Amino acid sequence: MHTEVRAFVGRAVWFVLIGLVIYGAVYAANERVIAQHAQRNRFFAIKNAPHDRYDYVILGASHAAVFGYRDMNTRLEQMTGARIMNLSVVGGGVMVARLLMEYFLARHDVGTVVYVVDSFAFYSSRWNEGRLQDTALYARAPFDPMLAALLVRNPVTRTAGLDYVVGFSKINNPDRFAPDVLPDEGNRFDRTYRPVPQIDRERINYLYPQGADARVRDRSLNELEALIASLQGRGVRFIAIKPPIPSRMQALLPLEDGFNATIRRVFERRGVAFHDLSGVANEDRHFYDTDHLNRAGVLRFFETALVPVLKYSTN
Amino acid sequence: MLFNSFSFLACFAALVVVYYAIPHRRRWALLLVASLAYYATFSAAYVVLLAGVTLVTYVAGLSLGNASDRRVRNAILASGAGAVLAALAVFKYPGPGIAAIAGLSFYSFSCVSYLADVHGGRLPPVRHIGRFALYVAFFPKLLAGPIERARPFLAQITQAAHFSPGGVTLGLQLVLWGLFKKVVIADRLAPFVERAYGQPSLAPAADLVLATYFFAFQLYCDFSGYSDIAIGSAKVLGFDLMENFRRPYFSTSMREFWSQRWHLSLASWFRDYRYVPLGGSRVPRARHVLNVMAVFMASGIWHGANWTFVVWGGLNGLFTVMSTALTGTNMPRGFIARVLGAVVTFHLVLITWVFFRADTLADAITILTRVAGSAATVVPLTVVRLQTGDVMLSVLLIAVLLGIEGFDEVRPVWSRLTAWPLPLRWAAYYALILSLIVLGTWNLEQFVYLRF
Repeated sequence: MHTEVRAFVGRAVWFVLIGLVIYGAVYAANERVIAQHAQRNRFFAIKNAPHDRYDYVILGASHAAVFGYRDMNTRLEQMTGARIMNLSVVGGGVMVARLLMEYFLARHDVGTVVYVVDSFAFYSSRWNEGRLQDTALYARAPFDPMLAALLVRNPVTRTAGLDYVVGFSKINNPDRFAPDVLPDEGNRFDRTYRPVPQIDRERINYLYPQGADARVRDRSLNELEALIASLQGRGVRFIAIKPPIPSRMQALLPLEDGFNATIRRVFERRGVAFHDLSGVANEDRHFYDTDHLNRAGVLRFFETALVPVLKYSTN
Repeated sequence: MLFNSFSFLACFAALVVVYYAIPHRRRWALLLVASLAYYATFSAAYVVLLAGVTLVTYVAGLSLGNASDRRVRNAILASGAGAVLAALAVFKYPGPGIAAIAGLSFYSFSCVSYLADVHGGRLPPVRHIGRFALYVAFFPKLLAGPIERARPFLAQITQAAHFSPGGVTLGLQLVLWGLFKKVVIADRLAPFVERAYGQPSLAPAADLVLATYFFAFQLYCDFSGYSDIAIGSAKVLGFDLMENFRRPYFSTSMREFWSQRWHLSLASWFRDYRYVPLGGSRVPRARHVLNVMAVFMASGIWHGANWTFVVWGGLNGLFTVMSTALTGTNMPRGFIARVLGAVVTFHLVLITWVFFRADTLADAITILTRVAGSAATVVPLTVVRLQTGDVMLSVLLIAVLLGIEGFDEVRPVWSRLTAWPLPLRWAAYYALILSLIVLGTWNLEQFVYLRF
C-alpha cells in the first residue's frame, strides 16, 4: 500500500514539474505575443520607450487619453517641439496615475508632468483601487521585475501583482491577438456626437457610481497631493489642466463647483499652476460622444489651449 | 466559493491532504465541518436553514423507526416530508427580485427520498446525527446534486476509505473534464446566448438560431460540468456518487433522453417517488399519459415559478408520451435510423430549451416565430455568422466535445485513457489543463443550476 502511494506521489511530483516547464514555455510564447501586439498598454509603452528623458508626461483618465489617439501625440510633439509620453488610462484615477508615474520614473526621467483633472475620477474607488486591481490593466504589460516589485509591494495591487508575475491573466487574455487599440480610437474618433439627454444622464451615472462622496474625494486628493509632493521632490514640474467638457455635461456634474474650489486649494498649497480649460473648444461638434473630444476637437484644443499652456509653463 | 474558482481548488487540495492524514473515525466530522464551511461561504443563513431541514428530517426518520402503526407512519411521513417541502416552497419561490437559496431544491429532495425510503422499509433510520447531516450536506453534491440516495451514501461513510491512487486519478480526471466543460465551453457560449435571448425581438434571427443551439450545449456543459466536478471530487475523497448525465444529445428518443441520459438523479427521483407511486406504466393508457404529464409538470415547477417552466415541463411530457407510443411500433433500428432519431430528438429538445431559457413566455414565442418566419434567409445568414472567429471557436469546441462523447459512447474514454502509454496520457491531461488556462473563462460565472 505504502509503495503504491509513494509511487503515486512520485508520479504526481513529476507531473507537476513537467507541467511547470510547459507553463514556462507558454509564458515565454505569450511574452512574444505581447511584444508583437501591445501598442497602447501604458506599461508596455514605458518599458519600450525609446528615450531616457521626456519633456512632458501626460497623466489622467479618458479625457487625456484622446490626446494620444492615432497620430495626436505626434502632432502635439510637432507643435511643441517637445518629447511627450501620454500615460493616461481610460477610467484611471489618481492612484493609477501614481503607479504609472512610479514605474516611469524607475526607468526614465521627465521635465514636466501634465495632470488632466477629471472630477469623476476623484469620487469613486472604482476608478482608483478598482482599476488597479483589474488584471485586464496588466494583460498586455510585458514582464518586468521592476513593475512586479512595485505591484507586489503595494497592498492594493498585491493580488493583481501576483497574477502579473504568474502571468495567468496575460496568458488567458482572450484578446491576445486583437489590435491593442481602444474601440473609441478605432471606430468613433472621427465622429460628431448629437446630444441625447438620456444618454448624458446615463453617462453621469456611470462616471459617478457612488455618487459624489466627499470622503472619497478627499482621500483621492490626498493621493494627488502625495503624487505632487513626490514629483516636486524629484525636481519634476507639475501642472494641472481641466479638459474641455460640453456645457450641458458640466451642468450635470455633481458638486463640481465645490470640487473646483477644493482642488484649487491643493494646487495653491503645492504651488501648482492650474488651468481650467473646460470651456475651451467645448462646442458639441468637437466631441465624438457625450464628453470626449473628437479628432477635430483635439486639434482645436491643442492649437488654442494646450500648446500655449505647455509653452508658457516651460518659459 | 464556486467549483470554478481557484479558492475552491486550493481549499479542496488542502482538505484532501488532511482527510487522508486523519483516522477514518474522524473523517465524517471533518467532511461535515468542511461542507458547512463551504456552504457558509455563500451565506451563513443558508446553513441555518440546512440545519433546520436536516434536523426535521432526522427526527422524522427516527420517529418512523419507532412507529409501527401504518397510519402513524403515514402521518409522520406526511408531516416530515410536508415540512421539508413547505420550506422548499417558501424559500425556493421567495418572490420577485429575491434570489432562491442555492442547493435547497437538491438537499430537500435528498431528505424527502430518505424519509420515503425509511417509511417504505427500504432503509433503517439513521441514528448517528452527524453522519446523517453529512449525507444531507456533503459539499460536492450540496448545491446542485447529484440527488444522492441515502442508502449507498451512508454505507460509504461507515466504510474505511483508503487512499486509492486509481480512485484519486479517476476523480481528478472527472474534475478536469468538468472544469473544461464549464469554463472552456459553457462560459464561452453564455455571453452569446445572453445577448440574443436578452433582447429576442431585436437580435438577428440568425443569432437566435445560433444562440438556441449554443444554449443546448451551454446548459449541458454547465450542469454536467458541475456534476463531473462533484462526482470527481467525491471520488477523490473515496465516495461514489451516482451518474447524472450520459451523453444526452446522443439520445434517439425523448424517452431515452429522460430515462437514461439527462439529469438522471432527478429523473430517477421523480420516477421512484412520484411516477411509480402514481401507478407508473402499469395502469390504463390514459392514466399512464396523465402520470407522465404530472411528473413532467412537477419537474417544470421544481425548476421555478414561471410559466416558461410549466410549458417546458408540459412539452417534455408530451414529447415523451409520443416517444413512448412510438417505441412499441415497428420503427427501423439501423444505424441511419438511430442517427435520424438522434437528430430529431435533439431538435425536439432544442424547442423545449427555448422555453427553459427565455425570460418570459412571450420571449419564447417571439424567438420561435422569428426563427420560423425567417426560415428562408436564416440558414445562409447563420452560415455567415459561423465564420466569425469567436463563433467558429465555439463551434469547434462543441465538435471536440461531441467527438469525445462519440468515442465515450462506444467505450468509456477514461478506460481508453488508462490503456494509453503514460506519455500519451499525460499529454492529454496537459492539453486539457492548457486549454483551461488559455481558453477558459475564469470570471466566476455561476453554474446555471445553482438557481434551481
